[in-house]
Amino acid sequence: MSNRKTRSLMLVVGLAASVATAGAQDPRAGLKLDATTSAAIRAVVDSAKAQGIPVEPLMEKMYEGLGKGADGPRIVAAVRSLAAEMASAHRALGTVASADEIKAGASAVHAGVPAVELGKMKKQSGLRRSLTLPFTVLADIVSRGVPVSTAANAIRALVGAGAKDKEINEFQRNVKVDIEQGAPPAAAAETRAKGATPSAKPDGGSEIDG
Amino acid sequence: MADWGRTTLELIVEELQQPVKLDASFERRVMVRVRRLYAAQRKHRGRWFGAAAAIVERPAWAAALAAGVVAIATIGILRVRPWADRAVAANGREPVQFVLVAPAAHSVAVVGDFNNWGLGDSALVATNHQGVWSVTAAVPAGVHRYAFVVNGKQWVADPTAPRSSGDDFGMPSSALVVEDSIK
Repeated sequence: MSNRKTRSLMLVVGLAASVATAGAQDPRAGLKLDATTSAAIRAVVDSAKAQGIPVEPLMEKMYEGLGKGADGPRIVAAVRSLAAEMASAHRALGTVASADEIKAGASAVHAGVPAVELGKMKKQSGLRRSLTLPFTVLADIVSRGVPVSTAANAIRALVGAGAKDKEINEFQRNVKVDIEQGAPPAAAAETRAKGATPSAKPDGGSEIDG
Repeated sequence: MADWGRTTLELIVEELQQPVKLDASFERRVMVRVRRLYAAQRKHRGRWFGAAAAIVERPAWAAALAAGVVAIATIGILRVRPWADRAVAANGREPVQFVLVAPAAHSVAVVGDFNNWGLGDSALVATNHQGVWSVTAAVPAGVHRYAFVVNGKQWVADPTAPRSSGDDFGMPSSALVVEDSIK
């Protein structure tokens, strides 16, 4: 363990113990942060709670920062950023969205997908279809250079055509390989979306501005 | 066509990750073996196998014996194949196998939000199989972030998984969506 990481763990104030989701049995409760960092994160967590946003992902982000040896200000910035992205996803998806969908939606928002696009997908897919995996893949292919509009249209077409998570996973793997082989990201996504399901229509649905 | 561009090693790893299915002829082949074994040993032990002969010669008993043999064989497979951990998965946790090809690595561990990012010695230590490192763990259903830590210091995203979007503190992470099989 690096000295930096060790120092982070040595700092005092058990924030986790004070968070409702981290009870007495939580093995993380004994981990420590400095008072300033702890107070800042506590404020973000309290605000998220008040908005009905799941707070566990915020705690996980804090631990990720600790695990990666980040300093306090960097951890606070990351937690704040995630809280804002989750709030955005939560507003767009509505109360019917699961905590996992909000978390995955936040990653798509971070990648550059407009939150309103997530809301459109949720309305289109219905209540029973979880969009956790589609949002995760959406964030991935955007991060690989697929234009937001192309990526969103492809995922929306796949979901609209009834593609299962397994098929959307396969779509992601194929797009990734195509891009690594030198294909233009947009062309890879458009082409692979056509073949992902027999009835998938990548040009279906409403267009969004890229 | 989807396999073009993958390395042979990646294809082997993917194949190894597939669940083992017993084909329809498995039971018949087991019974052939049982009969051969019985016939061979009968020469040496005479009446000792009389009871076994009665079993084999009666279809209902033979079927029961075959089912028992299949069950034992299946249990043996379950004990050595990670996918079979599903049998003991509980409380919304599902078995997930993490694999990283790193022939030059001395150690590989898996850390993520499901094990507190390795804090408190919670990292999952992978086992080396000729450069293919793997570890299977019961992970709660949901969406997760994780990474491999190579040689105790180098953070590596899973090259076979979606990238995790979000502030990663300058160290790459991957995304994992675990479905709850009970739902």
